Amino acid sequence: MGDSPDQLLSGRIVVVTGADQPYVRGLAAGLVGAGATVQAVAMDALGSRAAAEAAFAAVAAQHGPVAGVVHAAIDPIAYERVPMHEVDDARWDAVWEQTLRRALFVLQAGHTQMRAAGGAFVVVTPVVAMAGAAELAPYAAAMEGVRVLSKAAARQWGAVGIRVNCLATAPEHVPIGVASGELALSPPALGGPGDPEADLAPVAAWLLSDGAHFCTGLTLSVDGGVWMAP
Amino acid sequence: MSTEGAGGDRERRLTGRTAVVTGAGQGVGRGIALALAAAGANVVIAARRAETGEPVADEIRARGDEAVCIESDCTVRADVEACVAATVERYGGLEIMVHNAFKGGRAHKLEELDLDLWDENSRTAAWASYYCAQIAYPHLAAAGANGRLILITSPAGVEASVGIPAYGPVKAAQRALAKSLAKEWGPLGVTVNCIAPVAETPALAYAFDERPELKERVEQRTALGRIGDAEHDIGGVAVFLASNGGGYVTGQTVVCDGGSFMGL
Repeated sequence: MGDSPDQLLSGRIVVVTGADQPYVRGLAAGLVGAGATVQAVAMDALGSRAAAEAAFAAVAAQHGPVAGVVHAAIDPIAYERVPMHEVDDARWDAVWEQTLRRALFVLQAGHTQMRAAGGAFVVVTPVVAMAGAAELAPYAAAMEGVRVLSKAAARQWGAVGIRVNCLATAPEHVPIGVASGELALSPPALGGPGDPEADLAPVAAWLLSDGAHFCTGLTLSVDGGVWMAP
Repeated sequence: MSTEGAGGDRERRLTGRTAVVTGAGQGVGRGIALALAAAGANVVIAARRAETGEPVADEIRARGDEAVCIESDCTVRADVEACVAATVERYGGLEIMVHNAFKGGRAHKLEELDLDLWDENSRTAAWASYYCAQIAYPHLAAAGANGRLILITSPAGVEASVGIPAYGPVKAAQRALAKSLAKEWGPLGVTVNCIAPVAETPALAYAFDERPELKERVEQRTALGRIGDAEHDIGGVAVFLASNGGGYVTGQTVVCDGGSFMGL
């Protein structure tokens, strides 16, 4: 393992989902900067448990044992603002049901790969999940569901050396039309939503690293000082 | 049970208002229904099976309060639509929608969780919350400052549960829905809140049977040293949230568990 604080993840294989989104690309680049070998798994490989298991197994077969998973994939339909009374079942299914299923399949497939030697998940759950937002109820519900699913995984898999933590990002990184300033009476303490590669990735890298070995079930708000609960 | 003993607090804070309570055939839903009726509300017992719902409606009417049972599966959109329509036809409006029904608490491991058990959790907690919110919406909007949506969640919706990992996420979704809809419907005067109860119910008895270690842990962790009563301890909170006194509380989760989970 790298001793340099800049190389927290030297030699580690990290699977990243959702890397087609610009901010996740920045996160992935930052993980590479921390020494990780990053392998992207596309969202369409997460439609069933079997598909997710196969995609993760393929990464391990080609590159070596998976030591970390960053899950950020979400269907862009989730970002569309629609009043609750206009949401239809197809939208609710796409935003709530499929988001939760993908998270479940990612956790299960990651568990399969990491249960022998341990490992860590970082699950991206924007602060809007905790704050709620008008016309984004399905999105907030899905993200908060994923956040607590992550806690459930943390509670269950600690015994086999698998840690699961959440990274709560500022709302500006995804196109939902919510600004950080709407989520707290005070403005963002550190001035803005941050740069994914420079500001978010180091925290994700640390959560994946040995230094965080006693941290699981956490949600870290890496939002420049907006959401301060608790 | 004497009328005086029934419900304890019979202050008629909800006279003239109408409530639908899903899953009111037993447990927390039954307790909330009894309490809302004791506070003067017209209460619709929305139960998946009339044979569990009718006795609760009978019990309420025997106390001199108003209730009717409407057989309705909250995971079926058409059932919720029919239930709400019948409610409004009978009582002239719907001010208070309480979604309490839940099914899916079988113990499991996350790595073995299959979609059948996941679907029970997802359908009864998340999908049904969506249906109840959306279908009640025009009536809650018409009720304005008397409009209430109350979702029954759980402390597990915040802190998760090791023995039933599918449960926390669907209960968490209800909390995020409540916060989002509180913001969305605030301009109408409608409030949206969650209650996270622990009460003596068939569901809790089942959980204790499945996981005997849980009973001791719950009893040890509960500050008040007892498991709540569905009508008096949980129903009273629902009455408060539904009443004028609760009109400035919105987007919140009231943890009503005797002082067990204190993480908020």
